[in-house]
Amino acid sequence: MTLKRTVTVYSLGWIVAITLLHSVLNLGLFSARSGATTGEKYRIGFLPVTCHLTCPVTDFINKQQTGKSIFTPVRFNGWPELKEAFLSGYMPATFILAPMAMALREQGVPIKIVYLGHRDGSAVMVRKDSQIYRMEDLRGKRVAVPNRFSNQRLLIFRALKQAGMTVNDITLVEMPPPDMPAALYSRAVDAVSSGEPFMAQTEMDGYGRVLWLTKDVWPNFISCVLAVNEDMIKNHRETVQELVNGIARSGKWLDQTMDHRMEAAQFVSGPEYYNQNPRLLSFVLSKPPDRVKYTNLTLVRKDFEEIEALGLESGILKGTAHFEDYADPSFVTDENAINPWNWEGKKP
Amino acid sequence: MELGGEKTVNGKSRIVLPLCVGVAVLLVWHIAVRISHSYLTPTPLEVLRGIAELIQKGLLFKYMAASLFRVTCGFMLAVVIGVPAGLLLGWFQLAFQAFNPMLQILRPISPIAWIPLAISWFGISDAAPIFLIFLASVFPIAVSAIAAVQNMQPVYLRAARNFGLSGGELFRQVIFRASLPQIITGIRIALGVAWLVVVAAEMIAVNSGLGYLIIDARNAGKRYDLIVAGMVMIGLIGLVLDLIVRQLEKFDEVRWGYASRE
Repeated sequence: MTLKRTVTVYSLGWIVAITLLHSVLNLGLFSARSGATTGEKYRIGFLPVTCHLTCPVTDFINKQQTGKSIFTPVRFNGWPELKEAFLSGYMPATFILAPMAMALREQGVPIKIVYLGHRDGSAVMVRKDSQIYRMEDLRGKRVAVPNRFSNQRLLIFRALKQAGMTVNDITLVEMPPPDMPAALYSRAVDAVSSGEPFMAQTEMDGYGRVLWLTKDVWPNFISCVLAVNEDMIKNHRETVQELVNGIARSGKWLDQTMDHRMEAAQFVSGPEYYNQNPRLLSFVLSKPPDRVKYTNLTLVRKDFEEIEALGLESGILKGTAHFEDYADPSFVTDENAINPWNWEGKKP
Repeated sequence: MELGGEKTVNGKSRIVLPLCVGVAVLLVWHIAVRISHSYLTPTPLEVLRGIAELIQKGLLFKYMAASLFRVTCGFMLAVVIGVPAGLLLGWFQLAFQAFNPMLQILRPISPIAWIPLAISWFGISDAAPIFLIFLASVFPIAVSAIAAVQNMQPVYLRAARNFGLSGGELFRQVIFRASLPQIITGIRIALGVAWLVVVAAEMIAVNSGLGYLIIDARNAGKRYDLIVAGMVMIGLIGLVLDLIVRQLEKFDEVRWGYASRE
């Protein structure tokens, strides 16, 4: 065969074959799951962190109870990609860092925080064999935080203040949370702080020690929130209401019994959601049980004003957007009116 | 042994020698991990078990298909646009003067830098990584085609004109054919680059692919075996792709360009 003919025949053959393979294996072509129902649903972005646990829990329980879910959860691997996908309009709602949502609002993005993702659920970890036992011992050390817009960074600011120190006493390093355990292990940094389960991982693997949990320094700490595009609230208020109710019910369900948490650790760690070791999620959700909490998630003005003040102080917020600009607490005003899911899981 | 010792290479040593190097690398890797008592770096055996786990879960072939699909689309698009554009820019001096500075400005920008824009333009779909792979591979192809035309020996042109060829005929029969060996080299380099950026391209929240496997394994806790398994698979597929493209050099239409080594 000539070159032209060979290249044409093989290239066409390959393109057809690989397109078919990709369509069947990854895009669900010919599978029963694809079809109209998936196309109509709106998407919600989340990261595989326990701060976003109510997202997969809502999706899973919805599917168990009704056979379908109300939204498509989309897992991201990092904050920048999640933020960009939200800005591009790819998804109308997402779990996001509270200060990041507030900063976006300041920059004119029509985003509204409608509910909290969790309370507490972060920690500062040091190496087990280090001589760091108090905040003061971190003087001159390197501390990793996930993102300049993360509440973990603000948490460090607050802890420094409480210890009579300033940010100049330590070196702050920005690092993706999944890389933090290895960085702590290899002594690339002296302390790490991010959402779970990456902190618990260092503890479970035997080289990390909790310097303090968020509840010790900043009780009822908020890191992530559920944020929705304002257009969605205007045009599909009932859909947002259904979403927030579902998230709120999931939070109450998670905090109802330890059995529920262990059940969630099992199904959330599957490949569809977090794709993590179920033991790790079980560890985070139980040791101690109040390491991360999923109740008391209605929006409270003073919590956000505190974040605003710290954000202003640390230079990530300009102070031009306030609670009424970036928050819409009207979806759940009284959490007591919300009932947990009536679902007991698949008992072993 | 003679200089440029291809003549001493027979069929057997072509397989045995690389295998020996491969085994030696695996041994050094294994021993290095053991001696350093590294807690995070996996041994070759652990990586093999990681690959077995991926096969067992049916993920490996899924991810391979996804990555190969994206690279195929991005790369083919780069060939279809890059080769004609390169030939034209190489031939028309005025067009070259106009477009070359822009080409040189765009060329050094890493595909990673384009990720935010790719997401905002294409959302989270296959189109975004395909666009990044296209960007990474179109420039080596276009530049090699430009250089091929510009460096073509004038004797071909004189001969062609003596035979009365001009216009489209001259372009197809002479310029394209004379440039082909160099274009194929550019394509080979571009395919390597396209495959190289697959990890970065799949950092966008697509949910399949070998690049995604690596990024996902970072999220999954201490799964460095899967990270290295992804790296190994990318390397092995890269080797196969290069071997395939090298087959093109066996055709007479290309082979004459490499004649000096025969």
